[in-house]
Amino acid sequence: MEIIEFLKSLIGKQQEDEVYQLEDLDLSEREEYVNQMKMEADFQKNIDHIKGLLGSSLDLSIRETKIGVTKTECAIFFMDGVTDEQAIEEILEKLQINLLEIQQLTVEGSLSLDLIDRVLNNKDLSFTDQIAEILKQLALGSTIIVVTGLKEAIICDTTKFETRDIQEPEAEITLRGSRDGFVETLSTNVALLRHRIRVPHLWIENNELGSLSKTKVALAYIKGLVNEELITEVKSRLEEMDTDAVLESGYIEESIMDEMTIFPLVKRTERPDIVVSYLLEGKVAILTEGTPFCLLLPVDFHALLQAPDDYYEIFPVGSLIRALRYFAYFISVLLPGFYVAILNYHPELIPVELLMRVTSTRDGIPFPLTVEALLMEVIFEILREAGLRLPQAIGPAISIVGALILGEAAIGAGLASPPMVVVVALTAISSFTTPDFSFSITARILRFVFLILGGASGLFGLQFGILITIVHLAALRSFGQPYFKPFAPLIWQDLKDSIVRLPRWFNQTRPQTTAKRELQRKEKGQQSQPPNRGGN
Amino acid sequence: MSQEQIANRQLWFILFIMRMSAVLAFLPVLTTADALQDAWISVLVVLVGSEIIVLLVAMLCAKFPELTLIEYSQVLLGNWLGKILGLAFLALFLQLSVVELRLYGELLMTGFLPQTPLLFIAVGMVLPATICVQQGVEVLGRVADLLFIVFVIAILIALFLTGTEIELTNLQPVLARGWGPVLRGAVVPIVFIVQIWVLGMLAPVTAEPEKSIQVALTSIAASLFTLLLIVLTTIAVLSPQEGARVNFPFMVLMRAVRVSKFIERIEILVIFSWGFGVFISLSTFLYAGAKGMAQWLGLEDYRSIIWPMAVLWVFLTVHGFDSIFEVYSFLKPSIVGPYGAAYLLGPLVLLWSAYGVRTIVNKVRKEN
Repeated sequence: MEIIEFLKSLIGKQQEDEVYQLEDLDLSEREEYVNQMKMEADFQKNIDHIKGLLGSSLDLSIRETKIGVTKTECAIFFMDGVTDEQAIEEILEKLQINLLEIQQLTVEGSLSLDLIDRVLNNKDLSFTDQIAEILKQLALGSTIIVVTGLKEAIICDTTKFETRDIQEPEAEITLRGSRDGFVETLSTNVALLRHRIRVPHLWIENNELGSLSKTKVALAYIKGLVNEELITEVKSRLEEMDTDAVLESGYIEESIMDEMTIFPLVKRTERPDIVVSYLLEGKVAILTEGTPFCLLLPVDFHALLQAPDDYYEIFPVGSLIRALRYFAYFISVLLPGFYVAILNYHPELIPVELLMRVTSTRDGIPFPLTVEALLMEVIFEILREAGLRLPQAIGPAISIVGALILGEAAIGAGLASPPMVVVVALTAISSFTTPDFSFSITARILRFVFLILGGASGLFGLQFGILITIVHLAALRSFGQPYFKPFAPLIWQDLKDSIVRLPRWFNQTRPQTTAKRELQRKEKGQQSQPPNRGGN
Repeated sequence: MSQEQIANRQLWFILFIMRMSAVLAFLPVLTTADALQDAWISVLVVLVGSEIIVLLVAMLCAKFPELTLIEYSQVLLGNWLGKILGLAFLALFLQLSVVELRLYGELLMTGFLPQTPLLFIAVGMVLPATICVQQGVEVLGRVADLLFIVFVIAILIALFLTGTEIELTNLQPVLARGWGPVLRGAVVPIVFIVQIWVLGMLAPVTAEPEKSIQVALTSIAASLFTLLLIVLTTIAVLSPQEGARVNFPFMVLMRAVRVSKFIERIEILVIFSWGFGVFISLSTFLYAGAKGMAQWLGLEDYRSIIWPMAVLWVFLTVHGFDSIFEVYSFLKPSIVGPYGAAYLLGPLVLLWSAYGVRTIVNKVRKEN
């Protein structure tokens, strides 16, 4: 007896050691350890392994039961919250009742994987003896069934995740157009695309990124329209990406960009209609699980100033609005720089009366013009950031307080001149016309650069800055596509949809450089003609 | 790395902008001789003369569509003579860009930034050009695409706005003082066509080098027609005496514009677009110089010598001339005439005769 006790304590110690060792392992070592583990013949040991490796998490549920004519012991594992409870109940019901019935009918005594497969009849069912695979599937929301005597576990897909309803995206407002936006669930987002392109040529490829987060990332494109080289390139860049977690599509964006620049080389959107319009031009969309933001690539400079309304409204309206947006973008980048440059270095360029008016308001202001401009711009940027971070209830309040009262007080205290406040406010409002948020951030950065250049050496400084910017834009590439097309390089055919949008019956071809295939969108002569009305 | 390439359209734009920006601001037809109201006839003479030279240069380039100027000089003239000629070309590119940059700098200093040191302006212009060439000739082509539109729109607006103040009587009498002054006025602009040697560096990187003759001819013709329009407008608005007296007639012309009370002093528009034009020609010269230098030295990549060249260039711009008057005396027909003629005729005669000899020798060899 003593010997047995001693042996038992030895085994216990060994087990303790194992557990102790496990706790001491670092993440990668732990993964390696798990990877080489397999299911064992001993039922209890298997259960202990799984429990031990999951650290008896709060959401881990284990249901032990006896099934079949032989009353075989069996354990069902699943994670609360990420699973469909109804599906699990069905599985339990099938295992406890249907199995028995079938066994009695067919007189099959022993349990086999094949039998359970037939009984469960789940749409997605697999077997494995790898502990690592079991744990992974468990985390993804599958239900695991471990049965005594069977060396493989059964994995049933029971994934269900609570999602928010489809809502209109808050950051991308349009007057006209669909009101649905992406949500955090990949399958819902994919469905939103499928709903709009109802041909089998819409391909959606599944990928998994992140060694810990195992985020599902889908690559959507229209087969036969997209450039195959582009697909290969995107895939290889995604594969090269080595990260432990993808929490937002921004992680992917930064990793797959061609080079580091302040200009966005990938477009992000929450709107399915924008994604579809890109897909139709032969571009690629990357949808990421867990975020409503979809990435679109390759992207051009001019596409970032387009809004869906340009296409939904009739063409004169769409064109004018878009041209206005271009104008506003230039204002939001250049206005403070120009104001400072001209007032400081070239006052003779301003008509005399206007100049008198402006300089008279600057009487007694203790800062040089450039410092005054910088000060006001920095204040505005702080206000904008504060308005963004504050809880929604007090956000607007702080904007009003900041913008109105601070501006008014700054003038009253003689810290800033009214024309400067006008310039800064106009710049700020112009920057809100940019449809793409990341692109308006670019404008904010450039604005400061141009302000400093203009303050340092007048219009010559601005010219210097503009030249450098143009050279940079001309050199940029988004997934091998020139970024600044169709302006540089000049592509005449594509100018039809750049600063202005020509009528739909002119827009017969897809952009030249992205889709090198199926350029013709539709036949010529689509403009409708009224029938002849006769004499009166 | 794949072969860098520019479209023929981009070459056209580059040549047009280079040609325009070299002569636009100081209108040499007007300021370097006393052709006065007949300066526009000088432009026609320039047109004929330039086209002949361009044709000769472009045909030579078309004979060796794959090779640059530096390379085929050596093929035709042998190693030693070819290298010497190559060096002469490199010096030419350097000089042309220095003169142009200096002129632009002087214009800015007299007109807008009187207290800014020349060094600052030179660096401010050379730095973007250097960055551009560093990115490759493709980027240069794309920037030319964009700036060409800006350039043309600016010139059109300028001509349109000045159009209201044209006094056609200023153009009379035609040829009152004979052909002498007219021909003298044509000397400097024709000489400035030595720029066309950059075609020898750019043609091999175009998509269709065999079409470069056509590109060069039409581009230069277009630029000279534009120049003709500008000269006519300048004389008609400013009166020939006034136009010949000032340093930068076109700028003075623009300064004269006053549309209603609000739009005045629009010369800044012209200065800006001219700055863009200068940028394109500087970049082109820098590319041609760096690429040529790399081939001359047998280097693999021209990018490694761009920065040292840029520094040398800024230095020469600032210290090469004492003042604008020295630039102008350099540009007098009696000085720059023989200088440019040597640069045009010398290489042309040398290369063409070498080519002729080569063809004959090849023929003879074949027959034997």
